[in-house]
Amino acid sequence: MPKTPAIDHDAIRDLAKLLDETGLSEIEIERDGVSIRVARNLTAPASQAHSSDSAIAPGSMTLATPAAVPIGPSQHPGLVASPMVGTAYLGASPGARPFIEIGMQVKAGDTLIIIEAMKTMNQIPAPRSGTVTQILVEDGQPVEYGEPLMIVE
Amino acid sequence: MFDKILIANRGEIALRVLRACKELGIPTVAVHSTADEDAMHVRLADESVCIGPPPAKDSYLNIPALLAACEITGADAVHPGYGFLAENARFAEILAEHNVQFIGPRPEHIRLMGDKIAAKRTARELGIPTVPGTDSGVGSEAEAMRLARDIGFPVMLKAAAGGGGRGMKVVRAESELANALATCRSEAKAAFGDDTVYLEKYLERPRHIEIQVLGDGKGRAIHLGERDCSLQRRHQKVWEESPSPALNAATRDQICETVARAMRDIKYLGVGTVEFLFEDGKFNFIEMNTRIQVEHPVTEMVTDIDLVVEQIRVAGGNDLSLAQSDVTFHGHAIECRINAENPVSFRASPGKIVHYHPPGGLGVRIDSAVYHNYVIPPFYDSLVGKLIVHGKTRVECLMRLKRALDEFVIDGIETTLPLFRALAQEAAIIDGDYHIHWLEEFLARGSLEQ
Repeated sequence: MPKTPAIDHDAIRDLAKLLDETGLSEIEIERDGVSIRVARNLTAPASQAHSSDSAIAPGSMTLATPAAVPIGPSQHPGLVASPMVGTAYLGASPGARPFIEIGMQVKAGDTLIIIEAMKTMNQIPAPRSGTVTQILVEDGQPVEYGEPLMIVE
Repeated sequence: MFDKILIANRGEIALRVLRACKELGIPTVAVHSTADEDAMHVRLADESVCIGPPPAKDSYLNIPALLAACEITGADAVHPGYGFLAENARFAEILAEHNVQFIGPRPEHIRLMGDKIAAKRTARELGIPTVPGTDSGVGSEAEAMRLARDIGFPVMLKAAAGGGGRGMKVVRAESELANALATCRSEAKAAFGDDTVYLEKYLERPRHIEIQVLGDGKGRAIHLGERDCSLQRRHQKVWEESPSPALNAATRDQICETVARAMRDIKYLGVGTVEFLFEDGKFNFIEMNTRIQVEHPVTEMVTDIDLVVEQIRVAGGNDLSLAQSDVTFHGHAIECRINAENPVSFRASPGKIVHYHPPGGLGVRIDSAVYHNYVIPPFYDSLVGKLIVHGKTRVECLMRLKRALDEFVIDGIETTLPLFRALAQEAAIIDGDYHIHWLEEFLARGSLEQ
């Protein structure tokens, strides 16, 4: 047997498939002194053989920088980002009262805004309880995936 | 024509489509995942929309997100590129329901060619040669023998319920047939619960030759010659060229005209490729791809016809701008698909390109979306770019290819450039004497490991 085991791509692929099927976020197996851990996501999928400690996913090195300078809304811990691409509406219908206004208290699960995509109105719930301190979109504005909608802190 | 085209793809093909749109004067919308914010197609498009996180199923394959992107930008047509949703009939239907034009064939043709058995039956009905064999199960051993003799040995026994390379047996001689039939039946029964077995001619060392077609959906269709894509690894094309070194003018004209006539008969719309295995002077239909293909530049180089421009024009309801007699072929073109992979192990090598110097000069074309300091994300395919070289003759083309490969510098990641430099020196390649197993046999000899 060779000293440094070769990376077993098939095993990693099998585990990755298993990960998808089971909906788990991490699987680690150990066999003949070699362990393989396959974990996914949150920022980027990563899979690595235990014997190699090199980082392989360049896409995963985000969000890790400590904030020493004033931060924009996209780095704000209270950020509510758009979960989809579409058109943002602040109220339930044209002319209706907006769901939220600045200074309002919201509970987790309250509707904050509506995003229309494919003629479907998607109610976007508050991810947490808190106070609305900033609203970053206007009624009827197109929004992209991940675009800052508001700050709830 | 169209007011605005949304390009539902990424990488070099998104850039390729964008270039065609610009030359047609049509504004473009790029869509991208969060991993592709810095991509070249995003930078060069008139507008861009982030449609989701890195995994393709949440972004480039996300139909609601793509439709919403059409809605907020006012795009009235979608070009799907290749891969992702390019051969998804349902996507084409949903777009039509939302009054957005899918730049591709009609959904029924996508669906027909997506079903491999229906595609083969249709091909035969249209007079396109298919692999000789039976479509239904063979009965007794005597019947199998009679059929096998008709087809000619070697034959392949295939489980009707099989697929993906399983449940198949090659029979080289009459004396092997009885045993092979019994084994294949019991294996099929065990593996698929169905012991139906059918027979097909087995091709030992075929070439992969495909015919490019273009139709206006109204019964006019032309061919743009063939591409030889026999150099493959794990069914992935690696090197493509046109014309094929294996065809003479008569053979070429005959198959190309047969295919073009079939496309006229079904009133095919858009670009498409009819793929064959070619052995002993005979063509055997494998499948039809109902989209623009990765290797389309090879055809563009020998015909001077912009396939993506033509594809957009006919999708917009225009008649074909070309008659068959307008299509002339000149010179020879070769394309190499340069992947971000180790050239020996073919392990993917994503990462940052710290130095990028593409080759130039007469007859050299690069279709790529990478640039200096670009980071190849680990989420998608490993194609870095395509090097396409044209010459007046195949010899000139090969010399130019060698020269261009030597100029090409991509530092920071591993690429398959060394593989192509080796291939360009190989006697079998220079002679054009290769088949679909040649590259894997070449690699199995460890030819690149010195």
